[in-house]
Amino acid sequence: MTLHPMLSALRRHKAGVVLIALQIALTLAIVCNAIFIIGQRIERIHRPTGLDENNLFMVAQQWVGAPTGDDQATTDKIDSMVQADLAILRNLADVESATSINSLPLANSTWSGGISVKPAEKNETAHVAYYFGGKDLLRTLGVRLVAGRDFTDPEVQHRAFRAPNQPPIVILSKVLADKLFPGGDALGKTIYFDGSSSPSIITGIVERLQSPSVDIWSNDFAWNTALIPTRLDATYSRYAVRAKPGRLTVAMQEATAALYKANPMRVFNFDGKGTRAFADLRAQTYRADRGMAILMGVICVILLAVTGAGIVGLTSFWVGQRQKQIGVRRALGARKVDILRYFQTENLLIAGGGAVIGVVLAVGLNMWLLQRFEMARIPVWYVLLGVGVVLALGQAAVFAPARRASNVPPVVATRSV
Amino acid sequence: MFSYYIELALRSLKRSPGLTLLMILTIGFGVAASMTTWSVFRAVSGDPIPSKSSKLFVPQIDMWGPSSSSPKDPDYGQPPDAMDYNDAVALMGDHRAKLQSATYSVTPSVVPADPGKHPLHVSGHAVYGEFFPMVDAPFQYGSGWNAADDEHRAQVAVIGSKLNDKLFDGANSVGKTFNVDGRDYRVIGVLAAWNPQPRFYDVENTGGFVGDAEDLFLPFTTAIAAGMPNTGNTNCTKVPDAGFEGLQRSSCVWISYMAQLDDAAAVGAYRNYLEGFARTRYASWPSNVRLRSLPEWLDHLHVVPSDTKVSLLIALGLLIVCLVNTAGLLLAKFLRRSSEIGVRRALGAPRTAIYAQFLTEGAMIGLAGGVLGLVLTGIGVASVAEVLPRDIADLAHLDVSLLATTLAVSVLASVLAALYPTFRASRVQPAWQLKSN
Amino acid sequence: MLKMTHLSKVYRTEVVETYALRDFNIDVKPGEFVAVTGPSGSGKTTFLTIAGLLETFTGGEYRLDDVDVSNLNDNQRSRIRNEKIGFIFQAFNLIPDLNVFDNIDVPLRYRGMKSAERKQRIMDALERVGLTSRAKHYPAELSGGQQQRVAIARALAGSPKLLLADEPTGNLDTQMARSVLELLEEIHREGATIVMVTHDPELAARAQRNVHIIDGQVVDIAEEPRFHHAEQIAKAGAAGA
Repeated sequence: MTLHPMLSALRRHKAGVVLIALQIALTLAIVCNAIFIIGQRIERIHRPTGLDENNLFMVAQQWVGAPTGDDQATTDKIDSMVQADLAILRNLADVESATSINSLPLANSTWSGGISVKPAEKNETAHVAYYFGGKDLLRTLGVRLVAGRDFTDPEVQHRAFRAPNQPPIVILSKVLADKLFPGGDALGKTIYFDGSSSPSIITGIVERLQSPSVDIWSNDFAWNTALIPTRLDATYSRYAVRAKPGRLTVAMQEATAALYKANPMRVFNFDGKGTRAFADLRAQTYRADRGMAILMGVICVILLAVTGAGIVGLTSFWVGQRQKQIGVRRALGARKVDILRYFQTENLLIAGGGAVIGVVLAVGLNMWLLQRFEMARIPVWYVLLGVGVVLALGQAAVFAPARRASNVPPVVATRSV
Repeated sequence: MFSYYIELALRSLKRSPGLTLLMILTIGFGVAASMTTWSVFRAVSGDPIPSKSSKLFVPQIDMWGPSSSSPKDPDYGQPPDAMDYNDAVALMGDHRAKLQSATYSVTPSVVPADPGKHPLHVSGHAVYGEFFPMVDAPFQYGSGWNAADDEHRAQVAVIGSKLNDKLFDGANSVGKTFNVDGRDYRVIGVLAAWNPQPRFYDVENTGGFVGDAEDLFLPFTTAIAAGMPNTGNTNCTKVPDAGFEGLQRSSCVWISYMAQLDDAAAVGAYRNYLEGFARTRYASWPSNVRLRSLPEWLDHLHVVPSDTKVSLLIALGLLIVCLVNTAGLLLAKFLRRSSEIGVRRALGAPRTAIYAQFLTEGAMIGLAGGVLGLVLTGIGVASVAEVLPRDIADLAHLDVSLLATTLAVSVLASVLAALYPTFRASRVQPAWQLKSN
Repeated sequence: MLKMTHLSKVYRTEVVETYALRDFNIDVKPGEFVAVTGPSGSGKTTFLTIAGLLETFTGGEYRLDDVDVSNLNDNQRSRIRNEKIGFIFQAFNLIPDLNVFDNIDVPLRYRGMKSAERKQRIMDALERVGLTSRAKHYPAELSGGQQQRVAIARALAGSPKLLLADEPTGNLDTQMARSVLELLEEIHREGATIVMVTHDPELAARAQRNVHIIDGQVVDIAEEPRFHHAEQIAKAGAAGA
């Protein structure tokens, strides 16, 4: 079968061919970018925080009528309340360990600052998110220490929430340690927080620990994190608690009940429940991404269905229109399979033409989104995948009408109109 | 004549039910996807205070100087989005706008008088008395406080209707007192239901959209005197001295500021004043101030999430594909009727009649697609609430204008899709089809 | 009624120019029944489509009902077709989606008539062709002869001054052809002007006047118009059978 007669036949349906090729091009452009968005969101949702997320939950509360002020006496008073809460939590039957902490990965509330390798340096070497925690910090979070050592209990300090951050020792995420000391010899080195001249020594490095916020503004330091052995004393407190395996739900119920029993002058966060399982935190934080992925998925499905149905409809029309021609071909000796191939090849030509335009449109759309909405550049294989999808869709859609065409009997040739 | 075209359209659509259904489904789904994403976009891009958004302005002052950010930063050269305590209080003292208020967000605890009841976690703002008339806050009972209350740090509060329900069973509580963080405050006003979205007077701390209405407004001066700390964002270039008082002395920014300026002259005068203010206060660098109107401010802070915009764009792309699809099907359908067109033309139908006949057929498909689109949009808006973040999804809702838009878009889209096929149909020459041999 | 003077029609393609009509002259008086004959490709049908304002011409002059039609726009031409001309085609050209009543209704709709008047005219036209009982039938449910009668009814319903017929019996068997022809003659007797294109000499013989076209030109116009006589019709009818 040669292409020439087919092309000249297509030329006679110019407008119809152009419309369907255009439709395939637009479908390709949109589907590529939508699938790319879906892929990015899924990747984002599934990236590990560095924590052992199972059996982990967070407690957040605020004291009512707790002393306010930043003097030492007030700070000590509040710290004793924090310690009391931690003791209660640690004593619960279903709790493995607990620590005070200012935030958790995916909890959004962020305390960030600058790190320099020289004292009193105005320009920071790296931006960093802080996790202030007490005893059992690493154990409770389940982060993996890859170098150095954990904090010892006597090393844990406490201070007022708004006092300067000048810890003598600190544990950094590996990403951050490597950024500060590209030689990979960060352990034991001295760094300075927030432009101060008070030294902090790196005593440990953890494999991976994500910043609390996943928003765009925190992208620069998404993996730059520092663990600081300090309990913060404020009118509110947050605790990270690790339940015994499989006891998460029970432990969460026990935690709020026990805290409330010990001191009712407090209000619980998280809509009054006071606790939130890490899995819920993750779900809530990535809700927008999940929603976007679902939305793009639905649009892709509708798009492919519409385009597929459109091809079926239009090809059926053409088959109907060319009944006589098909009959003549059959009468002249074309086999059924030849007719089938004819329509399949015709579709491949149209879809292929559409796909070529579509690739250009897909890249153009991506570049435009990239410019306006901080999207990433689309990798080539997404576009190729898109091309494969629309070509396959075209072939699938054309099959039924082409089969019908191949079943046109040769006798049609002898009938008048 | 129009009824004749409708009759012909129905007849033609009935003749090929499969194709008709396909086109209706195409238009219906395309329109519904667009309208669903549109409902979300409309919800988050709406003007929170249409009556006076053009009169509300947010002043910004660069109190950090050019060395605080590097040219690599996306907002290099922009003054910070919030103010430090000293500038905010100085601007309030100068009182150059018609109405103005510095605000900061607070989340104190309210202790009910009944010892059997749990304390309540409330969210609110510390504001000046002029805040209420400036933002058109509606009062159910009482009113806001006056300048003298601001000056004397009066222990007064305006509470939201929900808190009023919890504390006073919804009764007129003006004059009654309640306890916030251990201090007594007298209720001076109770707001009617008021939950503007985006939360335009404090986008910095809310990000724009918040689920619940605010519970509590206290005088700024009173809250500062009580040492009630701010919640929300604090940005510093230098580590402040310890404590909330240290924060007040620092150049850290944590206060929102808004001013009402009624005409261009007032805006111009205020801008000059800001320039002068920055020049005298921060003499070591060129004055760098902004005075954005509320719509400009919301745009500057990217209140509309880019996901919402991208979704709308992609859905509009889907609608275009549906249009092209419908156009292709209509083209095939119309041209198949060339002989009918030829006969009609021979019998005296002018081109305009052919146009009317086939565009009516397109419009009928649009109408049917629109009705289907209404149902699907309803399902779409309900489903979106299940998958998108609550604070945004809750704002998306069905209303008469959305439904009317859905129908209008649907009909317009199908007429648009029918334009080219109809043009082709009208070009069918009467003579061609009649040469029977 | 219909007067063409030095009329020409040229079809141009990229390669050739073909004269379909050249220096074509004809003058049909009101009330005449003219048969246009000629071999295939002689330009008969081109003449008819130009006469019916279905196509434009290249040169010369065409006056229809004393109106110069060369400079009319599409709307004006459509209006003349609708009000002054009735068409009868060889292939009937009924709209298959419409029933008999609605087919006849088509030209009346474009004239913008009120519903009652349209209904009256349609029923009158159907009675005229003897198909009153078939008003609700679709074309596919009728025989060829019946379809052609419907087409004639459609042409008559608008009370045109000029009836143009293109091989009106070409697709019919003899029996049906005769009845259609009789119908045309009857319409002529009532005063209509009829121009009929045919290559059938017997059919042409029943017209008052014959015009013969060869290669796009009129070659022979019968000098003496023949007038109708009842016996002549009967004779021709018998010949046709």
